[in-house]
Amino acid sequence: MKPFRRIAPLLLVCAAVFAAPGAFASETLVRLATTTSTDNSGLLRHLLPQFERESGYRVQVISAGTGKALKLGESGDVDVVLVHAPKSERRFMDLGHGVDRRTVMENDFILVGPRADPAGLRRAASAADAFRRMHRAAHAFVSRGDDSGTHKKELSLWRAARVNVADENAWRLEVGRGMGASLQIAGELQAYMLIDRATWLFAGAQSELQLLYEGGAELRNPYGVIAVNPARHHVNYPGARALIEWLVSERGQSAIGGYTAGGARLFTPSAR
Amino acid sequence: MSEIRIRYTELGKSFARRRLFEDLSLSLESGAALLLGGENGAGKTTLLRILAGLEKPSHGLVDFGAGEVAWQRCRKILQRRVMYLHQAPYMFEGSVARNLELALPRGLSKSRRDEKIRRALEWARLDGLSGARAKTLSGGEKQRVSLARAWLRQSKILLLDEPAANMDRESQLRTAALLRRLKAARVALALASHNHEVFDELIDRRLLLEDGKLHAARAPALPENVTRLAAGRLRRAAKARR
Amino acid sequence: MNTLGAATLEAFALLFRGDAGLWEIIGISFRVSCAAIAIAIPPAVLAAFALAHFEFPGRRLLISLSNTLLSLPAVVVGLTVYLLLSRQGPLGDWRLLFTQPAMVLAQILLAFPILVSMGHAAFQAADRRAWETARMLGIPPARTFFMVVGEVRFGLLAAMLAGFGRIIAEVGASMMVGGNILHHTRNIPTAIALETSKGNFSQGIALGIVLLVMAFVLNMLLQYFQGRGRIAL
Repeated sequence: MKPFRRIAPLLLVCAAVFAAPGAFASETLVRLATTTSTDNSGLLRHLLPQFERESGYRVQVISAGTGKALKLGESGDVDVVLVHAPKSERRFMDLGHGVDRRTVMENDFILVGPRADPAGLRRAASAADAFRRMHRAAHAFVSRGDDSGTHKKELSLWRAARVNVADENAWRLEVGRGMGASLQIAGELQAYMLIDRATWLFAGAQSELQLLYEGGAELRNPYGVIAVNPARHHVNYPGARALIEWLVSERGQSAIGGYTAGGARLFTPSAR
Repeated sequence: MSEIRIRYTELGKSFARRRLFEDLSLSLESGAALLLGGENGAGKTTLLRILAGLEKPSHGLVDFGAGEVAWQRCRKILQRRVMYLHQAPYMFEGSVARNLELALPRGLSKSRRDEKIRRALEWARLDGLSGARAKTLSGGEKQRVSLARAWLRQSKILLLDEPAANMDRESQLRTAALLRRLKAARVALALASHNHEVFDELIDRRLLLEDGKLHAARAPALPENVTRLAAGRLRRAAKARR
Repeated sequence: MNTLGAATLEAFALLFRGDAGLWEIIGISFRVSCAAIAIAIPPAVLAAFALAHFEFPGRRLLISLSNTLLSLPAVVVGLTVYLLLSRQGPLGDWRLLFTQPAMVLAQILLAFPILVSMGHAAFQAADRRAWETARMLGIPPARTFFMVVGEVRFGLLAAMLAGFGRIIAEVGASMMVGGNILHHTRNIPTAIALETSKGNFSQGIALGIVLLVMAFVLNMLLQYFQGRGRIAL
């Protein structure tokens, strides 16, 4: 009941924020900030051990939404970021926070929802049509709401469909969670959701939801990797460089292409 | 006013390791005052609480005049008819008037209630204390509030645990005066007390609880007897310790 | 790291400008926790009274059980409620998961042991004389119960404040069963967790300030009532 006990977690968080950079810095350690989708889909657990074996570096993964991942890069708390929001990535580069941006791979977004499909997404002619149908039906829709790449994609899709969702709180539910947790919530609420195919293939089976709309250029989901600008922060640039080189190399690309879940390939290598 | 006579027999109380008393008999009668003497720890309080139905005896029979009944079977009746006043009477949160009001049946009109409370305050010489916070009263005043509650409730049987403890001489005399008036109104009284000369002229029968037995004691030689007995025991105990 | 200073300044600005989103989250927090406490109190007070007043087999076991549950981790409560309310769970048909009632339920379970445990202590400290005196004055048991509750009200109030303090600042269970849905189940602690994970510190700090101020006020009240409780005995 002492006041301190309630403050303690807060102080701890503050202490951690201050202590995090530098505390574990070492020559062989690469800190990678990435999106929840790459982590939740199991891709990193497949790729990183190979990279670590071949390069001698160790990779520490901080998995967050794209917004947070880029912020971590901006403040020099990580050495390299792997994200999927081309617009934000370009701004990140323009502001001089990163160097060596490369496209690594892509997959696509899909729309999933309840079997009954009250909005009729199965008959949608395009992604924009699908989003307009969801708006009309006003059936529960789970939004990541966490400033992640998927969240940004969702907002741009609503805009493309000319639907203003700023004040739609009754059916459009911002959950502010990672991809896996949001899928779980959508499953429980039997709601619609925009999800990347990798996470869906990896975790969709348990959700009682169904894939209702896919395809089209609007739903492409490219992933980029960026090293944090070594001129701005004291970061492990050689390590970041090594990871990027490996990801776009022949070996890295074939490792990405070789990752499957339930017999389906989750990401398509796309480095040029 | 109906006369009451309750006779208790074969009262015994034992704890896991200790027998407090055994096979006691006594009766309470309208208009009679009984004094229960004995040292601290002899079991006077326990005995009074058993008589009032508050504490379970190990064994006991009660006779309201229609034959003996096991104590357990008439516990509720005892609780309803016998009023036990704690050594330090409990005052509820709120004013003296509110504490008195608790003793009145609900559903009385406000004017009737106020009138009864006013008379009770007057009866117990609590004039001017009607609005005082009851928890802040002195020991003697609390005792008189609790007697006034018994008076308002028209209790026919009143058991008092050390009614003269924690108060000055004047308060003791006032308490004794109230008890005298209750006795005159045919209330059956039983007092457990060390310090009883203020109550002497009120008492009809004296019993001494010692070594788990009740002994009849004759008035008025008892007080000195008790004192001497107690002193003797203390001396013996002190010697034994040495 | 000069962002901390800037974020703190912005946090105060958000609070005093009356940022609607921020105050909505604060409102949800208070609504849910107040509802939980209000629902939990009557049964908890009855249970605490029963434990203090009656002798029955298993009483001691129940007392140590409620004391043990005091240190029950919130996430375990969250998990339990989640499993109960999930579509596959026994109460799945109620469709309560990720709604405010689900959070209320979890918070009731969290607050209940505190209320019972501290309530039991309060009733235990209450004088037996209060109960006996009232009964001998011919007051029926139900009314006597309320009178005794009145006599120990400061102790019970302290229990209520302690329970409220636990649930208003609790993040694990709220996150699990509420789902942190904006405008619906996002409360102060889950919002802090989210804003921090988004790197949006000023919102987090603003909400943290609200919790700190509230913890301070609750503790002041608690000390005051505990002091009053002791004097009133």
